Amino acid sequence: MSNDVWIIAEQKEGKLKKVSLELLGIGKKLAEKTGGALSAVFLGHGVDNLAQELDEYGAGKIFVCESEALKDYSNETYTKAIVDLVKAHNPAFLLGAATALGKDLFPRVAARLQTGLASDCMGLEISDDGLLVAERPMFAGKVLVDTIIPEARPQMACLRPNVLPVPEKESEKAEIEKVTVEINPQDLKATIKEMVKTAGEKIDLTEASVIVSGGRGMASKENFKILEELASAFGEVAAVGASRSAVDSDFASHDIQVGQTGKVVNPNLYIACGISGAIQHLAGMRTSKYIVAINKDSEAPIFQVADYGIVDDLFKIVPLLTEEVKKLKAQD
Amino acid sequence: MEITREIFWNVGSAARILPYVLGFIVLVIFAYGLIRRIRLWRMGKPENRFDHIFKRIGSLFSFGFLHRRIIKELYPGIMHLFLFWGFFILFLGTFLIFVQEDFTKLLFDEVFIHGNFYLIFSFVLDLFGLLAIIGVILAAFRRYVLKPDRLDNKPEDLISLILIFLVLATGFFNEGLRIAITRPDFERYSFVGWEISKLFVSLGESGASLTSLHATLWWVHLFLAFGLIGYIAYSKLLHLITSALNQFFRSFAPSGEIKPIPDIENQETFGVAKLQEFTWKQLLDTDACTRCGRCQDNCPAYLSEKPLSPKKVIQDLKDHLTSQGKNLDKGEGAEEQVMPIASSVITEDELWACTTCGACQQACPVFVEVIDKVVDLRRYLVLMKSKFSPEVKLFFKNMETNYNPWTIGFATRADWAKDLNLKILAENPDVDYLLFVGCAGSFDERNRKVTRSLVRLLQKAGVNFGILGTEEVCCGETARRMGNEYLAQILMQQNIELFNKYGIKKIITLCPHGFNTFKNEYHQFGGNYEVFHHTEFLWNLFKEGKLKWKTGVKMTATYHDSCYLGRHNNIYDAPRKLLESIKNVKLVEMERTREKSFCCGAGGGRMWMEETIGTRINHMRIDQAASTNASVVATACPYCLTMLGDAIKEKGMENKMAAFDLAELLEKAL
Repeated sequence: MSNDVWIIAEQKEGKLKKVSLELLGIGKKLAEKTGGALSAVFLGHGVDNLAQELDEYGAGKIFVCESEALKDYSNETYTKAIVDLVKAHNPAFLLGAATALGKDLFPRVAARLQTGLASDCMGLEISDDGLLVAERPMFAGKVLVDTIIPEARPQMACLRPNVLPVPEKESEKAEIEKVTVEINPQDLKATIKEMVKTAGEKIDLTEASVIVSGGRGMASKENFKILEELASAFGEVAAVGASRSAVDSDFASHDIQVGQTGKVVNPNLYIACGISGAIQHLAGMRTSKYIVAINKDSEAPIFQVADYGIVDDLFKIVPLLTEEVKKLKAQD
Repeated sequence: MEITREIFWNVGSAARILPYVLGFIVLVIFAYGLIRRIRLWRMGKPENRFDHIFKRIGSLFSFGFLHRRIIKELYPGIMHLFLFWGFFILFLGTFLIFVQEDFTKLLFDEVFIHGNFYLIFSFVLDLFGLLAIIGVILAAFRRYVLKPDRLDNKPEDLISLILIFLVLATGFFNEGLRIAITRPDFERYSFVGWEISKLFVSLGESGASLTSLHATLWWVHLFLAFGLIGYIAYSKLLHLITSALNQFFRSFAPSGEIKPIPDIENQETFGVAKLQEFTWKQLLDTDACTRCGRCQDNCPAYLSEKPLSPKKVIQDLKDHLTSQGKNLDKGEGAEEQVMPIASSVITEDELWACTTCGACQQACPVFVEVIDKVVDLRRYLVLMKSKFSPEVKLFFKNMETNYNPWTIGFATRADWAKDLNLKILAENPDVDYLLFVGCAGSFDERNRKVTRSLVRLLQKAGVNFGILGTEEVCCGETARRMGNEYLAQILMQQNIELFNKYGIKKIITLCPHGFNTFKNEYHQFGGNYEVFHHTEFLWNLFKEGKLKWKTGVKMTATYHDSCYLGRHNNIYDAPRKLLESIKNVKLVEMERTREKSFCCGAGGGRMWMEETIGTRINHMRIDQAASTNASVVATACPYCLTMLGDAIKEKGMENKMAAFDLAELLEKAL
């Protein structure tokens, strides 16, 4: 068996997911330790140009599995493509992303390869005896455990997105190898006939990395517009949420309610506007990475969980924020 | 002339035999009907309701014969009282005649219904017969003219009323005819018959035609009366047996106690999927229900347009029981394909709408239990099917990982007490009382204020108490009422181990839900403690002079009874007396108060579910509070405080009204 590290890159509707680059970053570090080569595997149909985006991030080789059957994600076709490739090359480590797709795909791949899988990892390293040590949260994040896969090979792990940084670009070009995937339609138990999208174009609240949320302090349904403006200044990663009392007062619809009886979210940035911070709301957002609270009442409990607090009129602050974000975005 | 009457006058010799033959047949028909229902109840599991026999007889006497609960509502109360006592006395009268004619007269030639006794006998029977007729008229008027929402009309209601009326009317007409023909002057004591006789006399019919009319009517009366007796066992009239049984077999456990799933580790099924998993008493409940609808009139879920009506639940179960009874006749195996009750007989929306406030059970004149059935059916949904809303899932998950309903780490449970210098039992177990803070009092910023107020009051009174700090876990009350008995038992046993470890004997709670669970449920797992709710405890301190108020607080306040403090545990006075002990406090009562108090909408796990159907219960309650013009609504429960506080905000009433816990108001007076 080699010492090679493989990562499975992920794309969705013609766009490369950021976590693929995060995987390359950590994969590079692991490969340096094991002395093996780093390779990326890319699956899809008509995605040659996307594979280029993976280049110059440290991978020595990029396998592009190109097939009509891989156009849309299907557990069966993707598993077959990956398993066949792995069996042919025998990498020592196989890393994927703990996204919705990854959580569906990799357990099946691991079962096919009869190996172990450390899911939803926060960190990966190589121990002195060459084993992959995966750091995983357990019991709702109360403890972190180090998981190893002592015997079965390859050692597999899924990495949580947004945990590790995207690496710097390098100059070395990768060798791109096209892989033909043979999939016999008759072997498939299910085929995709049509993809039906739900809920329009807006990003789902639970997937947004920025959430701008409004409470009763918004005073009316119309005023939620300024929150939408702030959210759209952040781009498509941002969404608008609401507290229960805002929903109860009909300022916003229930499907964007954040809290105990609504959605539980943990974005990188949560901006709470005119939200007092009743416990039922905190229960839905307190695990956000950074919390910014804007409220006139300096006694409001929201400030106890906030990383940054602004005691002022939100109608003054939010438009200012929108302007600043727009300026910063323009500099990018 | 002797003052008596010939009993089988004018009805021929057949009357000496035929009624007994018919009577026997009717009794067989009656017994068959009754036994069929008894067989259905016996499908249920065993349950011991044969303890406290004398208490049970007392219950039957006071709630059955004396109508103690029925009379609480005046109109239907009087209506039923007249019908019940009317028929009871008429039955006694007929029984006395039977005794005289077939025993004393036959065997000893003794006729005791004569002379003054005859006069009294006649008068009393006429009086009670008349009351019964008034009762029928009141009933018919209410049912078909006033038409209260809580009454639904079925053919059996009309048939029963008509039959009862005809039996009574033909009886009186018979008496009138007899008097019109024989005309003894002393019969004026049979005052109803006497007046009717005058009617016949004024008609001027010949004696002969009256005589034959009397003979015919006598038989009509007899057939109707026997028909009525036979009908009892096949209609709602059977309640005169089943409701009486239910009053006899009523539960003497506190209404706030939920029965455990015993030996839960070794059970293979949980909760109730089919009727056989209820106990016989729970099945009897469904037959004891008379559809009077008092439960529905007091149910916060029903009144806020939720799909739940306790009456409907019990009646749907009864119909299900009847239809299952048909399978019973077909023999084994026929019941196998039956759908689970939860969702096929009682919808999930109905089951999850219940706040377990107990208003239905308090109102029920015949002690039908509803909460136990709701919890049993929820247990099936939760523990067997994992069917519950996403909010409930989050609640369970949080409870399992952090022992509180929110996504907050258990290590921060005692953060509220950081600067208060309290005894933590792990460090210093030398205390007289454990202050069990509870989840809301520990984590929720609003309720933390209440906790701090209470701590100040206790410290002021010099009470030696401590807290469990981060070791405390949720009391398990809410998980239990949401049907997650497994989770509830884990939490309860965890607390009991802690309590016992520190040798705790006396507990003060902030929350009536914890109070109820410690007091009425922890004994199920060997935890026996003296438990005080803070209102009770503070009132005792005040009475003993350990707490004194320095200043008055000028306000008009209304007190909202928490269901688990009031209805389930009978603590109504302590909080009110405490409020009134503060100078310048004017206490005003809401229309629904004390036993009839209206739930805030959070009990039974409703706190943790979205309320998407109908009107918000807390909005209704705050409107009721606002109509007293009080500026403060005082509570003694974190759930109530949250719900009413939210309602005030949501309805934009902040300028008019505020919600406080009693402890906060008392602290202001220190």
